[in-house]
Amino acid sequence: MSTSPSASLLSMRGISKRFGGVQALSAVDLEVRAGEAHALVGENGAGKSTLMHILAGVHQPDEGQIVWDGKSVTLANECVAQQLGIAIVFQERSLFSSLTVAENVFAARQPVSRWGIIERRRLHEETRQLLGQVGLACDPKTPLSELSAAQQQMVEIAKALSLNAKLIIFDEPTAALTEIETAALFGVIRELKANGVAIVYISHRLEEIFEIADRVTVLKDGTGQGTFSVPEITIDGLITRMVGRALSQRGKQSAAGSDKPTMLEVRHLNDHSLEREVRTILRDISFHARAGEIVALAGLSGAGRTELALSIFGARPRESGEILIDGHKVEINSPSDAIASGLAYLPEDRKEAGLFLDMTIAQNITAAGLKNFGSWWFRDRKGAASAEEFRKKLRMTSYSVKQVTQTLSGGNQQKVVLAKWLLVRPKVLIVDEPTRGIDVAAKAEVHDLLRELARNGTAVLVISSELPEVLAVADRILVMHEGRITGELSGGEATEEKILRYASMSIAA
Amino acid sequence: MPEVARAQPSVQVDTPSPRKLRLPAFSRELGLAALTLFIVILFSILYPYSFMSVANLNAILRNLAFQGILAIGMMMLMVGGSFDLSVGAMASLIGVITGRLLTSWNWPAPLAILAGLAVAAMGGFFNGFVVAKVRVNALITTLGTLGMFQGLALLIGGPSVPFEARFAQAKFLGVQLPVWLMAGLALVAHYGLAHTRFFRQYYYIGSNAKAAHLSGINVERLQMLSFTIMGVIAGFAGIVFASRLASASSTVGRGAELQAITAAILGGASLTGGKGTIWGAMIGVFFMALMQNVLIISRVSSEWQEIIVGAVLVLAVALDSVMNRKRL
Repeated sequence: MSTSPSASLLSMRGISKRFGGVQALSAVDLEVRAGEAHALVGENGAGKSTLMHILAGVHQPDEGQIVWDGKSVTLANECVAQQLGIAIVFQERSLFSSLTVAENVFAARQPVSRWGIIERRRLHEETRQLLGQVGLACDPKTPLSELSAAQQQMVEIAKALSLNAKLIIFDEPTAALTEIETAALFGVIRELKANGVAIVYISHRLEEIFEIADRVTVLKDGTGQGTFSVPEITIDGLITRMVGRALSQRGKQSAAGSDKPTMLEVRHLNDHSLEREVRTILRDISFHARAGEIVALAGLSGAGRTELALSIFGARPRESGEILIDGHKVEINSPSDAIASGLAYLPEDRKEAGLFLDMTIAQNITAAGLKNFGSWWFRDRKGAASAEEFRKKLRMTSYSVKQVTQTLSGGNQQKVVLAKWLLVRPKVLIVDEPTRGIDVAAKAEVHDLLRELARNGTAVLVISSELPEVLAVADRILVMHEGRITGELSGGEATEEKILRYASMSIAA
Repeated sequence: MPEVARAQPSVQVDTPSPRKLRLPAFSRELGLAALTLFIVILFSILYPYSFMSVANLNAILRNLAFQGILAIGMMMLMVGGSFDLSVGAMASLIGVITGRLLTSWNWPAPLAILAGLAVAAMGGFFNGFVVAKVRVNALITTLGTLGMFQGLALLIGGPSVPFEARFAQAKFLGVQLPVWLMAGLALVAHYGLAHTRFFRQYYYIGSNAKAAHLSGINVERLQMLSFTIMGVIAGFAGIVFASRLASASSTVGRGAELQAITAAILGGASLTGGKGTIWGAMIGVFFMALMQNVLIISRVSSEWQEIIVGAVLVLAVALDSVMNRKRL
């Protein structure tokens, strides 16, 4: 193995990968040298994670070649990748909070005696050495749950080092870290580089890339946009390549009624999270949405958009802040309060939090509006008739409202969840990723539906990670980054480039 | 209704798929009812005198009343996605407490019964509070309270207490009162769960608690309520049974929780919730009592009775699971 900084340690050539009907990667190249920090950037869904999962042996490429240390290799599974010296520090930490630090570092690989008995002293000694390398001064016997997010990150790195990794992949390592902790992490990364370890660094924070990376590879819609050496490229240059196409101009329908009444107003909302896993903390959020207006909340994953929606809807604790609906201050402490005040929320994860999968279309549609069908006796026939109306209007491909929703396609399932909220006629509708995983035709129908709703006086708040969708439906766009609103754009002036700039920077530009 | 669609759709996109048409919820209850009927017919041919006699049928009904009352509450809990292992011990405890109030304290019967039911409500609420608010798993919570209630019953009642109110020995149309009480309660519960807006919320909670919460259903409060109702029903069962025997035994409910859960599952409930009807639970209870009866009539030893009943449970659920997998 050669450790001279210029030698190529890893070369991925022409990597392609399909998932069902989606071409996640097509002919992507990535070349990483020993001792360099190589950044990988791209929008959500550009294919970064897929590429890294292929490198870690989680997925197999359909096409392409991987050359490791001068030899062509097949990474059949995670174990093969690990044995070669490829380690991944996951975004969601792959640690066991009820076990000790040492047991985490050597998970299922503890040093054992001839009889298969764990040698505690050796385990703790080796762990202490590794912790020293990452600058974490703590007892290996400490339970992991007592460590902060940043310290847990260091444990994860120590775990990678224990595998004698020659290449460590960092997937959004700083998302949960404070600035000081980030600086400490960068110190560790520089140390690793000096020892000849190659780093692949994925981050939405473009400033960080200029601080830590030597080179950067840009992905866009599953294709490589080239590799650049960091001093030679600017943030603007990176963003243009991430967006990658002539910026789409959009015909603006109307400067949607600035004379219309304000339906939703949020003033100085802050949250506090009791659980350690909850990462984003909303900071001083203020905004409004008028009747008839579609407002999009854009931002990268982890920016706090879903958390904001849940906080407004009463499904997440708030620390301070006021919510006004239709001009009146309301007290929302639970989703039922929110619904009573005229709010509706369509959750991001349809199957997990939106649908009653083993129940029928009719039962799903009436779930939030049971009141409409009798205050004591539930009138089945009236409920079914109402559901039938929505089934026809929304053109759900189904044989009847008695069909169980599990058997519907994604697009039709989404229509069912939408119908549930249309039934209660909300003043404000918040939709979280309304078209995720549904086909193009259904997507257009959902967009039409949202516009129709707005035209009838509902204020619609759309959370979407797909910038083309945001540009297509929104009258106004709020961009979030790390729990703050960092920018506001009118539908007319918005471009993917402008949104991305606000979404990637901690300070509003 | 907001105008949500464009012009009437020009093409009606109805795609009936006949294979998926039948609802799985119906198949379990109807299947079990058919099997029950089959057993009745078979045994009335095999044993025309010992099986098809009024006395025998009455015995079957009398024996199932206790489990039947418990199964009603259990079904409601299981529809909402939880269950309660403490119901048998609760029934014993409330029988003993009410018996003590009647004999040692000379309380009038209505007052003693009300006091017993109030204690049952408190015990049930305790279960519900720990499960819904403190968020301890229902299995662990009710396993713990099972021990607590059982111990309390023995502490208060010793082995048994005489029960001085024998209203449950009354007969109407030749059938004992406990059977009528069970039938009445089942009717009320069936209409509640199937037709009232309020109780229908349990199907949503059992189907997807997270989605139910986000649909504005107060999951915690409803869960506490269902445990409280379960407690009262269990206490009621204990009082009725003690009254029929004129004696409250501190261990009368031992194992009844598992029989109630078995009956509910046979009748269409799922451990994950969202499924089941009261009438399904009733068929389940009747089926189990019938099985026991025909096994006794056929002179099957008690060891084999247990083995067969256990095998029937596994078979029924396995069959359902296989059929559901095919349907999807």
